[in-house]
Amino acid sequence: MQYPEPISKLMDSYMKLPGIGAKTAARLAFFTIDMDEEDVTDFAKSLISAKRDLHYCSICGNITESDPCDICRDKDRDRSTILVVEDVKDVMALERVREYHGLYHVLHGILSPIEGTGPEDINIPSLLKRLQSEEVQEVILATNASAEGEATATYLSRLIRPAGIKVTRLAHGLSVGSDIEYADEITLLKAVEGRREI
Amino acid sequence: MFIQQLELTHFRNYEKAEVAFSKGINVFLGENAQGKTNLMEAIYVLAMARSHRTANDKELIQWNEEFARISGRVQKKHSSFPLDITISRKGKKAKFNHLEQKKLSAYIGNLNVILFAPEDLSLVKGAPNVRRKFIDMELGQISPVYLHHLVEYQHILKQRNQYLKQLAMRKATDLTFLEVLTEQLAISGAAVLKERFSFAKQLETWAQPIHQEISKQREELMIDYACSIVLTDPEDKEAIYTDLLNVYQDNQKRELDQGTTIAGPHRDDLKFFVNEKNVQTYGSQGQQRTTALSIKLAEISLMHELTGEYPVLLLDDVLSELDDNRQTHLLTAIQNKVQTFLTTTSLDGVKKNLLDAPKVFNIDQGNIETESE
Repeated sequence: MQYPEPISKLMDSYMKLPGIGAKTAARLAFFTIDMDEEDVTDFAKSLISAKRDLHYCSICGNITESDPCDICRDKDRDRSTILVVEDVKDVMALERVREYHGLYHVLHGILSPIEGTGPEDINIPSLLKRLQSEEVQEVILATNASAEGEATATYLSRLIRPAGIKVTRLAHGLSVGSDIEYADEITLLKAVEGRREI
Repeated sequence: MFIQQLELTHFRNYEKAEVAFSKGINVFLGENAQGKTNLMEAIYVLAMARSHRTANDKELIQWNEEFARISGRVQKKHSSFPLDITISRKGKKAKFNHLEQKKLSAYIGNLNVILFAPEDLSLVKGAPNVRRKFIDMELGQISPVYLHHLVEYQHILKQRNQYLKQLAMRKATDLTFLEVLTEQLAISGAAVLKERFSFAKQLETWAQPIHQEISKQREELMIDYACSIVLTDPEDKEAIYTDLLNVYQDNQKRELDQGTTIAGPHRDDLKFFVNEKNVQTYGSQGQQRTTALSIKLAEISLMHELTGEYPVLLLDDVLSELDDNRQTHLLTAIQNKVQTFLTTTSLDGVKKNLLDAPKVFNIDQGNIETESE
């Protein structure tokens, strides 16, 4: 027997989400039918509002309901530092630390010619514009520790440094609380290279 | 180090087999297609957790069986431990000292083997990529840092070539980004080159006296790392980096036309010279063989220097390819130091060269019998 059409339509929608195949989609669809009508309506509304009410901040590229975003509007934040990250999830991760009080800039991607991403495909022009108009003294490059992350960081420092702004890069090395004996050789190598005096 | 004993279950044509080996020379004697090379393969798999003959592990399982198992006991200077490899249709498990190793890289290296098979002649005769692969394999086994730099180099090279293509097709215009990629390529390229140069030099140091002895002082072997770039000082990483950058700069116009990186470690070669003549082009068959043999024997010494233990030597069907003189030198070189396994169809012409009594195993249709003499 085939599924009634409303169910197969719902399943089709669920299957557009990452990590969900036909069986999980069927389970979710039947679960949805048994839910309270109110919950289902809320669910549908949240889906729509997440899509409609969220924008990217026109200044930093972070995801936000109001433009400019909360961080860019916050008067208490240190406006002399901008921390550059690959995507929005990185902002969330850094915000959880609660120790960084400067501003952010989200690139929405990383330089990788293999993937077809060149300098004009990521959010670089708006960063350069910010550097001209604001009293920025330091740019922290917090791209990933991969070959592409390094290339992107080096490229950005090339563009920014001539303007006389300090450019820094996140440290590489051991993760906190980890055992040296379990660290891989390359991480250890980077940790030894980046050692500091105490 | 040496292998004390080996046990096979459902491996290739071996239903079940158990053998104890000699510390010295072990001969697998038998007609063709009886399982001599399979036995060599089993030892290789025990060491490297993969076969040198096939990339498909399932081929190792005996026909109609569920799994294949190889286990052995290795004796080192100060320790002895069991190794165990089980291959099923689902995958393989590698156990060192009864403990399963989730990472194969943690398993490999416990037993070091050097295999010398007829196809190794292509090391001298074959295309440059065979020799680059040889360097990368040997260095990779010894140095994980080298492996990291090599992988990074290859990755950035791919990115850079792609970007050069985009620039060539006018899909991209940013030369600053090309500069960044070039610098990154030069950083990892310099690390790769420095290690390769010192490896070639070490290999030459060990191979030279061996080659001289085999050729009865008539030939002098030289190994040259033929770099596609002229270097001012191959021992100084900073200097290599500067040289690489300069070359990339000089090549830029041509690279932009062709859309690819035209020079660098990925275009290099290893060259062997006998009495100052390139063996690959001008050497006789015999000289090419001697060269391949000298290099393999040099590897034994090199590994001993780096790890403090002699590896186990596997000679698959190569003795018959060498004349009496080369055989004698090969066998004296390894005498009393290196546990050796060799396959042959007949003992005539082999036995008289063996100073020490070898342990002979008769291989017959997947059965191993120890010859009692």
